[in-house]
Amino acid sequence: MRISELLRLVWQNITQNKFKTVMTSIGIIVGAATIVMVIAIGKGGQMDVADQFKNLNAGAIDISCQVETQQGFGGFSGGRGGPDGGGGMPSGGSSGKSGSSSGSKGSSSSGSSKSGGGDFSGGGGMPPTQDSTGGNADGGSSGGGNSGNGNADGGSSGGGNSGNGNVNGENSGSQPDADGNSGMGTPPQGMKMPSQDASSGENFTPPDDGMDFPGASMDDSADLEQVTLTQEDAEYLLENMNDISDATISYTTRAGVDGGDLEEETIYSIAGVQANYASLSNLTLSVGEFISEEDNGNKEKSCILGAGVAEEIFGSAIEAYGSILYIDQRIYVVDGVLEEMGSVSSGISPDDTIFIPYETGIKYLVGENVSPTLTIIAEDVEQIDTVIAEATEVLAESYPNSEFTFSDAGSKMEAASASNQILTMLLVAMAVIVFVVGGIGIMNVLFVSVKERTNEIGILKAIGCSRKNILLEFLLEASAISFLGGVLGIVASLLITPIVQQFDVRVELSATAFLAALGFAVITGTIFGFYPAFKASKLVPVEALNAE
Amino acid sequence: MGIIELEHINKYYQMGENQLHVLKDVSLTVEQGDYLAILGPSGSGKSTLMNVIGCMDHADSGEYVLDGEIIHKAKESELTKIRNEKIGFIFQKYHLIPTYNVLQNIVMPLLMRGMKLKDAKNESLEIIEMLGLKKRMKHRPSELSGGQQQRVAIARALVGQPAILLADEPTGALDKNSGTEVLKLFQRLNDMGNTIVMITHDLEVATHAKRIAKIVDGELTLDA
Repeated sequence: MRISELLRLVWQNITQNKFKTVMTSIGIIVGAATIVMVIAIGKGGQMDVADQFKNLNAGAIDISCQVETQQGFGGFSGGRGGPDGGGGMPSGGSSGKSGSSSGSKGSSSSGSSKSGGGDFSGGGGMPPTQDSTGGNADGGSSGGGNSGNGNADGGSSGGGNSGNGNVNGENSGSQPDADGNSGMGTPPQGMKMPSQDASSGENFTPPDDGMDFPGASMDDSADLEQVTLTQEDAEYLLENMNDISDATISYTTRAGVDGGDLEEETIYSIAGVQANYASLSNLTLSVGEFISEEDNGNKEKSCILGAGVAEEIFGSAIEAYGSILYIDQRIYVVDGVLEEMGSVSSGISPDDTIFIPYETGIKYLVGENVSPTLTIIAEDVEQIDTVIAEATEVLAESYPNSEFTFSDAGSKMEAASASNQILTMLLVAMAVIVFVVGGIGIMNVLFVSVKERTNEIGILKAIGCSRKNILLEFLLEASAISFLGGVLGIVASLLITPIVQQFDVRVELSATAFLAALGFAVITGTIFGFYPAFKASKLVPVEALNAE
Repeated sequence: MGIIELEHINKYYQMGENQLHVLKDVSLTVEQGDYLAILGPSGSGKSTLMNVIGCMDHADSGEYVLDGEIIHKAKESELTKIRNEKIGFIFQKYHLIPTYNVLQNIVMPLLMRGMKLKDAKNESLEIIEMLGLKKRMKHRPSELSGGQQQRVAIARALVGQPAILLADEPTGALDKNSGTEVLKLFQRLNDMGNTIVMITHDLEVATHAKRIAKIVDGELTLDA
């Protein structure tokens, strides 16, 4: 029998019972739609990853120090403040100390209530009116205010510290320590550090000097793991390493921002960066200029807005340019707005970030106690491992006792695409299951069909239809049903796509996906159709003919 | 040499423990242009004989030659080809394919030979006209009367110009008028030179044939 005639007959059989055909192929429809969506979403994910990293310098290596202990440090300082306050210290010292500590703990309610409680008892004899007014004027935090006022004399330094503490309270754990020391002055030994801080005793021996120590160096010796990288480290690496083309330092924090169209203070990501950050991270400006070395050196209160931020706060880049906004209640001028980057670079999403000069942030926003990230650019992307090894050595010269975390852009990309691939594999596995179920559905219906048409098969055999032709007819029927299922599945996927996109999933439909879906559909249908077709071809003509 | 040469055909069926001897040493010769009725009650083995003659079932022993083809040694695939080329089947229940229209049913044997639908249609037009089915070509079997359906089946049997027409109770499902019509048609076809073997249990139907062979309990006896 000619294939064309066979196909004609198959087509006739299929169209004769459209509803049955559609119901038979429903599993295949779902399977094909799944395949299309799987490929489309997988591809969308890959393109997302590619987009995310397209602006990221492949040679970029981020270096940071483990800072898990930072929170613990803050706790320690609070703890120290507490016992001191209640420890029967000379009144001036004690109040100064507790004033600073409670001020610094302004944001942490438990710490302030504890130290505040200690101070209440000490300040009990003071005139209450003075107390309350002074308290309001000073800190806004009742515990801090009371203590500062209660000891009007000795507390002058304490009051100053509490002011300081308020500013830094949110971010810093070590700052209060320095203040505490200065406030205490006279009895340094009374301030025995808990446990591991044995070595810190050295630092505390000249207490007045201790006040001048930057928090960082104190932390350095206080905790072996704790290192705060500095601009000098970046410069040092650049000078002492052969295979890197650039180095910079940056940090991110979050702070309340107000101004522009904002109705209330809103928290944004703030990145403190240096002048070379823009070129390093391939940032381009749509308007204005990026932070300059002078801005950084002068600690200018200027900022560069990410495209998304500019739109949110000012409506557009043009309107944002030259405007002012408030970051942590300080005025900053918008010196520029970035192009829309739609990407993540060095862990920062430029679109949603406000960039400020590094030193400005240190001074007004985060204090010394930040954990910045050094970024170095390897000249040769292939040599990332060597560069990391070299950087480890160079850093070890400065910080022999510390460990650093390295993460390079390449491995980030790999990790991102690897996780994307795992997701794709999962989806493919799902699609395969759907197809198997769909195939079994087809097989089932074809078995019923063979049973129903046994008589017809008998007739065909009687009038000379060969086994091969019968096999072919049923096989073609299965393939055709699954082909139709595939086509309907593709149509279904086209209908689903807008719905999926509603959920912010990137869907990249492609001809490859359609072909794959069709291919899988037909293959599945044919495989599962084979057994029933084979059964049909094996029927004995006489028996088939007499079957009812 | 006849068109059908059956020599000492034996056929057994295994029924549990018992072996049924269905065809007992049947020998039969049918010449070109013959019109033979095989008459027998149900259970006599006439259907088995029909299946053997129709190449749908093998005899357990004996020799069978159909129009020069040695059937008793042929494989299933060869039998399929022989059925298509040498035999025109006409069944009691017409056995038309319900999903195909009249034309498609009629041309099926030609399509199986690898002919195109268009050519097959041209080839079968004469027969379709002769059987008065031209106006019914696009109808489905279910839209036709029993007599019309049987005529479609006869057209399908004739279209491949087979060596023999093998009719199994061709009037069995028809009313008297339609039955008579079919028998008249057989007469005409036989007059045109077609060899017909008709199997029936009805003596009246059998008398329309030139010769009658009686089969009782698996044994075939020829009337003069």
